[in-house]
Formats: sequence, C-alpha cells, structure tokens
Amino acid sequence: MANSVTFEQRKPVDFAIIGSGAAGGIIAKELSSAGFDVVVFEQGPYRKASDFTHDEYDVIIQSELLGGGPEVSGQTFRHDESEIATSPIIQPIRYAQTVGGSSVHFSANFWRFRESDFIERSKLGPISGSNFADWPMTYDEIEPYYARVEWEVGVSGAPGPFDSFRSRPFPMPPLPVKSSGVLMEKAAKKLGLHAQNQPHAILSQPFNGRNACIHCGHCMMFGCEAGAKSSSLAAMIPLAEATGRCEIRDRSAVFRIETDANGRASEVLYYDKDGSEQAQMAKAVIVSANGAETTRLLLLSASEQHPDGLANSSGYVGRNLMFNAHSAVDGVFEHPLNDYKSVQVSRVIHDFYETDESRGFYGGGGIDARPLWSMTPIFHALEGMPHDVPKWGAAWKDEIAHNFTRQMSFASGTTSLAMDRNNITLDPNNTDQWGRPAIRATYRDHDDDLAIAKFLEDRSLELMDAAGAKKFWGHGIKLSNGGEHLLGTARMGDDPAASVVDRYHRSHDVSNLFICDGSSFVTSGRGQPTMTIMALAFRAAEHIAAAANANEI
Amino acid sequence: MNNPDEISRRRFLKATGAFGGASLFRIGAPSLAAVTQAACTARDEEAAFNTLGAEEAADFAAIAARIIPATDTPGAAEAGVIWFWDNALGSEFSSLLPGVRSLREQLSANLGRPFADLPEAEQDAALRSIESDPRFELWRLLTIFGFFGMAKHGGNKDHMSWDLIGYKGHHGAWTPPFGYYDAEVEQANGE
Repeated sequence: MANSVTFEQRKPVDFAIIGSGAAGGIIAKELSSAGFDVVVFEQGPYRKASDFTHDEYDVIIQSELLGGGPEVSGQTFRHDESEIATSPIIQPIRYAQTVGGSSVHFSANFWRFRESDFIERSKLGPISGSNFADWPMTYDEIEPYYARVEWEVGVSGAPGPFDSFRSRPFPMPPLPVKSSGVLMEKAAKKLGLHAQNQPHAILSQPFNGRNACIHCGHCMMFGCEAGAKSSSLAAMIPLAEATGRCEIRDRSAVFRIETDANGRASEVLYYDKDGSEQAQMAKAVIVSANGAETTRLLLLSASEQHPDGLANSSGYVGRNLMFNAHSAVDGVFEHPLNDYKSVQVSRVIHDFYETDESRGFYGGGGIDARPLWSMTPIFHALEGMPHDVPKWGAAWKDEIAHNFTRQMSFASGTTSLAMDRNNITLDPNNTDQWGRPAIRATYRDHDDDLAIAKFLEDRSLELMDAAGAKKFWGHGIKLSNGGEHLLGTARMGDDPAASVVDRYHRSHDVSNLFICDGSSFVTSGRGQPTMTIMALAFRAAEHIAAAANANEI
Repeated sequence: MNNPDEISRRRFLKATGAFGGASLFRIGAPSLAAVTQAACTARDEEAAFNTLGAEEAADFAAIAARIIPATDTPGAAEAGVIWFWDNALGSEFSSLLPGVRSLREQLSANLGRPFADLPEAEQDAALRSIESDPRFELWRLLTIFGFFGMAKHGGNKDHMSWDLIGYKGHHGAWTPPFGYYDAEVEQANGE
C-alpha cells in the first residue's frame, strides 16, 4: 500500500504506536493531526474495504482476518495453573490481524458505559477473590470523548431509557429494526421490560464522505466492504494518513521495546514482512496492541532496569484479564425472519444492566436480539441446531432447511470480575510464526460471572417464550474457553503498586511509554467494550499531545 | 495420494450415480438438469482428483451423501461436496488426511466390502456405529464446509445448499423490510 510518508528508522520519530486498532488508529489520527510524526506498527496486512469478502469458509473457518489459528499463533489456554495449557482447535484469544485491528471485524454494537460502571466498587463494596476497583475517572470525565467518538467515528442510534446523560444527540438515526428486534419488542412489552435501539458504529446515513450501510448482513467476524462500519480502518486511518505525518507500517510484528540507559523507551524492534529483524527509533512509544498482545510485548521487553517486564513493577501486567461472559438462547418462529440480512442487533434490553444485590451476586448485562448462528450457513449448521436433533442425516438436513431463516437468538453479554488468577502470560513451550513466545491465557470465570450469565439466560428463555417462538432452547452456561474482549491486563489507576498506567495512560514506571487499549479497563462493562476503548483513546491522545507540547514526556 | 487409478470427475460422477440416481429423480427435472450440466462442463471432463484415490473418493462421497442425504431436495452428492474434500484435504486440511483415511480403513475392514457398495440403510447403520469417533466429526465437518461454503471451494454447486435453506448470500445488499415480522410492523405503520 502506498503511504503518504515513510520515516527513517534511525531517526527517532515522535511516536511509535504499536497496533492500528480501535485505540491505535484514533491515537495515530489525533497525534498526526496535532503535528507529530507517528509510525503505526500493524502485524497484519493492509486490507482495504474492497478486499473484504462474504466468504464464510475463508473468514470464519480458516480465520483469515485472525491471521490463522493456533497452528500459526501457538496460543494456549488453560482454566487454571493446575492444568497444562494446550492449543485448542479454535484460536482461544481472538483478534483481527489487519490494519484497523478488531474494529474491522467486530459486530459494531456500540454502547457507552454508564455512570455506575466507573464507581461500582464504591457503590457495592469489595468482592472476595477479586481486584474489584473504581476507575480513576468518572463518567463525567469520559462523556465528552464518547460524544467525540459518536461524531468523529460515526455512530447511529437513539437514546435508551436507562442511558447516562449525553452532551450531544446521536449524529445519525438508528439502523432499521429487524424481525428479531420486532419480536424482542413484543416480548419485552409482555414482560414489562424495555427493548431499546441498539447503537452501532455503523452508518445509517452517508457520513464524512463514507457510504451508509447496505445491510449485507456480514458484520460479525467480517470486514465491511461498504466502508460503513466505523472501524479505525474506515474512519480514522485515512484521516491520519492525509496529514502526511502518519506512516502505517503493516506486516510488521513488534517483538520488543528497547529501553536506554535511563530506562526510557527508545526503540521498537520488529519483524518485517520477510521475517527480518528491523528497528525504529522513537521519542515515545504507545502500546495499543490489545489486552493479550500488549501484555506479551511488555513481558518480552524485560531488561535489567525492568526485570519483570516493561512497566511491570506492580506485577499487574497480564493480570485481571476479563472476557465478558455470555449466554445465548435460540428460538424458531413460524415465519421467516431472514435475520441473516443487515446488522446483527437492532434491539437490546438493558433492564438488567445494574447489579441488583437481591440477586445475591455481582453483575449485570444486556440481552440483545440477533441472528447469532443464523447469520451464515456453516455457522448455523455447526452451532445453531436444536440439541434434540441428530447431528447428521435427513432429519438434521430438514431442520436446517426449515430453521435457517426462521431462527434468532437472545444473546447476553455480561460482567467479568478482575482476578489475579485470570491472566495472559508467555507460553513456556510454544512460539508464534515469527518466533515470539506464544500467548498463554489462564482463565476461570468468577462464580458471580457464571451466575449473572445464568440469570440472563433464564430471562432470555422467558423472553423467547413471550416472543412466541415455536421452539426454543438455551445453550447453557459453560466456563469461558477463550474470548474476543481482552480487558484489564494493564489496568489504569492512581496507585503504582496496583495498576500499570496512570489515569492518562502513561505507564507508572516509564515516563515515555503509554498504554491504551482494552488492557486499560478496570472493570469489564457489560460486553460491548469498543466504544469505551475509542473514547479512552481520544482522551489519552489529548493528554499525550499536551504533555509532548509541554516537554513533559 | 499417488493412486494410479485416478479417475476423471466425469467418470466419478457416473460411478456415484448408482446411489445418487434414485434420489435425484425425486428432486425433479430442474435440479437434475443442473447436476447434469455441472457434470458435463469442460472442467469436469478434464479434471481428476488431486488428493484422493478413486476408491476412497467413492466411499467418502457416499459417506458425505449419508451425512447430508438427497431427500426431496439435493444433498452432498448433488452439490459435489467430494470435490471440496479433495481440495481441502490437499491443502488447508492436509493435516487431517491421516485421520480421515484411517477411520475409513477401519470401517472398510469391519464391513468387509466398500462402504459405497452398501444399501443406504446399512450405510446409515455403519455410520451410527462410529459417530462418536472424533474422526467421524472430521467427516461431518468436511461435509458441512463443502456443502454450505462458497461454490468456489469445490462444493455447493449452483448454490444448491443456499437455495435449500433460503440464504441468498450471493446478493450483496438488502433494503428493509428484511423478514415477515418487520414487514408486518411497516405495514401497520402505513409505510
């Protein structure tokens, strides 16, 4: 891909940004627009909208956008330290390796967090076995940045009955309701609940020179060929490149941040597209590589001054991993919904968002209406079939033929508690295709996480009944065996002994090292983290630019 | 891999007609025409299996045809799923080939004759006896991928499986209403 600028490797660039996703893309755009020279490192290739396909086999089964499966990543998973971590068939830690990162392939469900999300520990008190804490900021402080995301990245929606205050309206009306949304509205009305518009990082109208959604139905796990999904790729990186101060260095896998004699970050070491070692000097480094990759890179950057990994004097790097738990209930209706068309979700219920202490456990979540498995044929055949149907043969085939267009899910995304035992570490045996030690995830959901997921599955079953499904079933609550939301592993906080970065994303240990992505999260929210990652990125960029201008980096 | 009896796709289709034929006639003329036409393209005249030998391909095609059988609609045989097996086992799923083969060998030894030669009811019984074997799951997955994946991967000829389930995945864009229930609301709102 042609870049507007190429920076010299041996001349320190103002900022090296590692990762081009939800956070990295925004920070690159903000800092380059503010007059700084930036190089963005992305280990995946530079795909454009026209490179994205509807090929379910390539994209989902062959993990095209993930850069392959465990056979190339070497990733391993275990539930706790007593188990030996092994490589499952499916990549346990799932994120896109492509310019724009996971903002390219996410479903683009796009809630703001609420006021309560930032101060839950103060409201609810401690929770045993967890590192439950308040954020070092309030909703008031992040609200202007939520508004910036909505207006600069492009968000469609309408306010819901439980939303926290907003300083500006949504810039675009919501996307049209789907049959699944209509059925959720009907069910919610019966049960006294509120089915509200699902906000999306997807354009319902042309916006900033970009096209509106064409309702092709390939949002979740796919890239958007219309450029209507407000990924970093579609919304931010073109603006960054247009400044002439931002170089996107794709197919460049960073394996170490080098520090100088003063312990400051000085150089980014990476493998280029041919696998050769390269180095880029930088005045400051920003790590926005996602909660798993960020952890790995910091651990790999250990040195004499930073023996346990860069920015890890607290020992918190990699800890407190939060995936968000889930539940799913499927229902089959009399008439075709054709829910494979358009975006995943058009309606969501937030009545169970807040922790209700009378339930006896921490947590909350949203329940949304979506095709889920019924979005594409292979996915439906593998995951969407009722449990009482044989797994092959004529009866199985008849069931698919009848159900595919008539099926939908009520899916919940829930809280996860931060715990020491859930973490990202370096696998002692495996390496990835570049030779870096593989990512090892250790994760066992907190009992409260499983309890709220079960609670929401039960509510979803009631909703499915109320919606008039002819047949419905829950998938049951199982221990997480991997995740897409990679949160909490370099948490922000005021106490350097119990956090990795300060409230403005500067690492406590290294003054010219910043970390901003899902790893910054203190709590997990309710299952839609990307809006908050993007808001944090706008906020971080503002403070980083101000510090640089004041010579305080 | 180095089977000296590699056969052309056309010859293979003829051979498999023995178990596909009866079902195909139940489908009716249009689908049958589509299959016949597909079988007669120049590509199919020329091409041979790249990965599978003739005998094992015949067995695997018969296995796929019981996993997704032709009923009053086409199944794995009509959609050409065996071509997907052949492509995938020669490339992205080559590591699965030993497992895919060893279960067939085991089954053949138990049966004492080729799976493809059995009547359908006996084929189903034979598959039920091994359906908890993880290697059977490989067979099932290959069949699902080939049947429901894009036609370019070898199976799903003429989007047969998509027509079966009502998925119009080859269309690029939609406008509301998308389904019965949102259309109902639009109508009620006088839109």
